[in-house]
Amino acid sequence: MARFIIRSIISTIITMLLVSISLFLLIEVGSGDITVKILGVFSTPEQRASYAAQLGLDAPAWQRYIDWLIGNDWRAKNKVGYPLVTSINPQTGEADWWADVDGQLTRWTLEEGRLLTLKRQDDGSTTSHISSGAWQIDEEGREYFWGVDVKNNAVMWVRGAGAEVWALTKAGLRKEGDGPMKYIPLRKGLLRGDPGISLQYGRPVAVTLVSRIRNTLVLAGAAFVIIMPLALFFGILAGINEGKPLDRIISITSLGFTATPEFVTGIFLILIFGVWLKVLPAVAIFTSADAIFEDPKLIALPVLTLTAVELGYIARMTRASMVEVMDSAYIRTAIIKGMPISRVVFKHAIRNALMAPITIIMLHVNWLVGGLVVVEVIFGYPGLGYYIYKSAIFGDFNAVEAAAMVTVAIAIITRLFGDLAYTLLNPRIRYS
Amino acid sequence: MAVKTITQPTSRPSRLQKIWKSMSIIFESRVATVGMSMVLFWVILAFISLFWTPHDPNASDFIQNQGPSIQNWLGTDHLGRDLLSRLMQGTQVILLKTRLPGDAGISIPGGVAIWGVIGSLTLGSVLGLNAGYRGGWWDQIIMQVLDALIAFPRIVLYLVVIAALGQGDLVVILAITITGAPGVARLARSLAMDIKTRDYIRAAETRGENVWYIMFREILPNARGPLLVDGMLRVGYAIFAIGTLGFLGIGLPPPDPDWGNMVNEARRNIFSNQLAVMWPALAIASLVIGLNLFADGLREEMTRYQK
Repeated sequence: MARFIIRSIISTIITMLLVSISLFLLIEVGSGDITVKILGVFSTPEQRASYAAQLGLDAPAWQRYIDWLIGNDWRAKNKVGYPLVTSINPQTGEADWWADVDGQLTRWTLEEGRLLTLKRQDDGSTTSHISSGAWQIDEEGREYFWGVDVKNNAVMWVRGAGAEVWALTKAGLRKEGDGPMKYIPLRKGLLRGDPGISLQYGRPVAVTLVSRIRNTLVLAGAAFVIIMPLALFFGILAGINEGKPLDRIISITSLGFTATPEFVTGIFLILIFGVWLKVLPAVAIFTSADAIFEDPKLIALPVLTLTAVELGYIARMTRASMVEVMDSAYIRTAIIKGMPISRVVFKHAIRNALMAPITIIMLHVNWLVGGLVVVEVIFGYPGLGYYIYKSAIFGDFNAVEAAAMVTVAIAIITRLFGDLAYTLLNPRIRYS
Repeated sequence: MAVKTITQPTSRPSRLQKIWKSMSIIFESRVATVGMSMVLFWVILAFISLFWTPHDPNASDFIQNQGPSIQNWLGTDHLGRDLLSRLMQGTQVILLKTRLPGDAGISIPGGVAIWGVIGSLTLGSVLGLNAGYRGGWWDQIIMQVLDALIAFPRIVLYLVVIAALGQGDLVVILAITITGAPGVARLARSLAMDIKTRDYIRAAETRGENVWYIMFREILPNARGPLLVDGMLRVGYAIFAIGTLGFLGIGLPPPDPDWGNMVNEARRNIFSNQLAVMWPALAIASLVIGLNLFADGLREEMTRYQK
């Protein structure tokens, strides 16, 4: 048993690693020039190149994969020469990068050819001093300096040869002199909980993702609570009445619901409840972050849509498993020896019949995520699925990769649990 | 599925009888018959649309968002296009033709859904047969990679592939192939593991046949039945997927109408014109349900005597 668990966990880790590499490669191959999306089609090639360098896109792909996975502050630390730490900025609530110079949080900036040291005070403000003697000299005799700039990059400035860079501000692109020659956008990496900056929103992915995941969990959880008892009930009902009209009706209805795409079901529910009856809101517009808890009507239609799609599938699984169990010899024996049918069903059949559907549901999480994307897009529900959709359309690779990895992790971990549960419940597998 | 042209006149009656016998299994199941007639309805409509549609499907000839009338049997959409013509033409890209990229506008026969399923059946059986027949490291590595692919939520894979490669018929085919192959491979693997213990495989090995010969001439023909039924189900999934992609706005590109995209565009006017969103939605649902019923009935009928 222990060997089985260890093998499953190792296989899970390998799978995750493979998934992350293939995801990264896929996006790498095709995502095209993301800077065009951010800067607009009228930006010049120099502007795009400058901005790509600021995003760290000039590094080779393997380097960026490693940065993405485990971060690059340890790499930048060697260049800067001081430990790099993050500290929460009290104004934005997001983490900023600082160099830890003998216990003093420090950044640098280059203004009019002079290097200024910015020291962080306890109240969050900074004081600036002209730093002297910081420049180092390379083999070619240039004076250079590696430091942390105010935009969370580790950068290299070269004295007297300030590069012209294009900085993206709220008002558009601005040309700046005295720019750094090289950028390393600092990040901790996915494994340490920092998937990077969302290119679409300009904020850390981790910050924007958390509320989306919560919304999706609420939606999926509500659907799950409704689906499970109903699906098991109908499945068992159909299973005991195999071949009778009741079974036919349940089976065909559930097949119909499963085979209908989510968006068709969603559209019809909107038509019925939103357009004709006008009892439920046809879209899920969030006026505040906690809108779902203030007005549960908002998620009524999304939950109903998910229910319609998933109910049929699980009911069919339960039915198939129930039919199989009802066919088995021990049930026949129980019936022949005169045990009441209700007792046979409830005492002997159900326990064995439920094993398969419950583990299958664990494997079914992938489908659920697929359904979630469509349902969230139909209703404009701000969840994980909508986030993936938006980010993929935009080409926001940091966000897509992080969100996709979340879904993959959920899918794989539930599958692992499904496998383990099945082995625990079914001794025949454990000992083979 | 290709029915081989008959070369030897002497074998003709028995071949035909065989085909008829395998066809008649459909009519033994009421579910399969109903499913097949739903599918046939759309296939016939697709062929008709090749030669005739009531109006030009892409011309804005009429008043927008009209209900059904004698002129427009199903009404018009938000740009004043005839819905029936668009619905009919919409079957072509799914079932009958795949548009190749380029300005020439060349199409090859066989719809996007069909090619997607052929692709996943081919890729899946090559991988699955190798894993199942060779076993050992082949099995470990192939299944590990496929596990990673299966771990992706399908829709995320579609989104990433299409976001990466852009829109187009071939890209959708590729996306369907990649997402379908792991499932086919698992099925092919389990079938191969079962079949490879048979005596005729042992005989072929003793004859010293090539590994590929054994996999594709000995094992594959004997695994054909379940794979074909699975393929039938997959056509349903593929149409489902094409519809969903169209709805998300990343499916088959214009100018040909695409059902999913029709739903997506029409839902913006859902309060003024409900029919425009209903027809394509019903069309997708009926075609997918038909295919599912067909495959389901067929499978039930085929496994009935195996117990």
